[in-house]
Amino acid sequence: MVDKFTQTAIILLVVITALFCIGAYIGYIGGAGMEGTDGVVEEHAAEIGGREATELIPTIGVYGDMGEYVGFTLAGVVSGLIVGYLWTGIFWRREDA
Amino acid sequence: MHISDGILTDQWCIIWYAVAIAFAAVGVWQIKKRAADNLSYMPMLALMGSAVFIISVWHIPVPVTGSCSHPIGTPMSSIIVGPFATVILTMISLFFQAFLAHGGITTIGANTISMGIVGGFSGYLVYTGSRRANAPIWLAAGLAGFIGDVLCYVTTALELALSLNPTAVMSHWTLYAMGYIPTQLPLAIVEFIFTAAIVNYITTVRPDLLSKIKSTKGGVSNGR
Repeated sequence: MVDKFTQTAIILLVVITALFCIGAYIGYIGGAGMEGTDGVVEEHAAEIGGREATELIPTIGVYGDMGEYVGFTLAGVVSGLIVGYLWTGIFWRREDA
Repeated sequence: MHISDGILTDQWCIIWYAVAIAFAAVGVWQIKKRAADNLSYMPMLALMGSAVFIISVWHIPVPVTGSCSHPIGTPMSSIIVGPFATVILTMISLFFQAFLAHGGITTIGANTISMGIVGGFSGYLVYTGSRRANAPIWLAAGLAGFIGDVLCYVTTALELALSLNPTAVMSHWTLYAMGYIPTQLPLAIVEFIFTAAIVNYITTVRPDLLSKIKSTKGGVSNGR
């Protein structure tokens, strides 16, 4: 039997993933490009100011969309493991707290 | 709010770096002091560092605007581990995010100002101010998340305007801020929800941790 913490975590995981998928799907059928706002505003500002973004260091993004996808997935998995591992140790309910 | 390399002028990159390093120096001192007093502080910092890293690259689609952006996580972090320590966590997160094509190396200072300093400190001040006004913890934390998120992007717009349009800062600041806000407002609401939920959860299950860390004014005993 799963405990309450795990239940809550699984429900949250499903809800958040569903929200992402629904948001992406609505955007997709609405014909939106779902571009990142950071990039759009920055490019617009750079154009007005006569400057251009440069890459000073090699990034995972240089391998195209797939590289970025793999990079974000890896970063998410590693960070998620760290958060999950420490979370249960630190925030476990203690009766004497 | 991740400004890339090459966008800001060298002069502004240096200025933002200098300000960020001054805050980071206080952060290092504060971390050392708190870690010596409280054994839970270092794992808590590691946890918050990972949380800030992942939350601030967590691109969420906003179908209303047909674009996507991300929350920042620093208001939550500054409530839990303190605002100066959050500056350090932000700098480390931004360094690694630069390798994911988010932000840049020369703009770590500017991005730290918007996300770590303005986002973190405004969130912290809103939280402590709301608590003093007897707001419940979830509301105080949620407002901190919302306001910290919005101000972070307003600051990024200012950084762009100051560097790229020095002769017409106000009009361009407004223009760039208006570019961010339609996508960012729904995400600020997301930031409200998870900041409120997480801070409220911690104060419910482990109130001793926050009172030890002393980043919540008045601790938690009078917090609900």
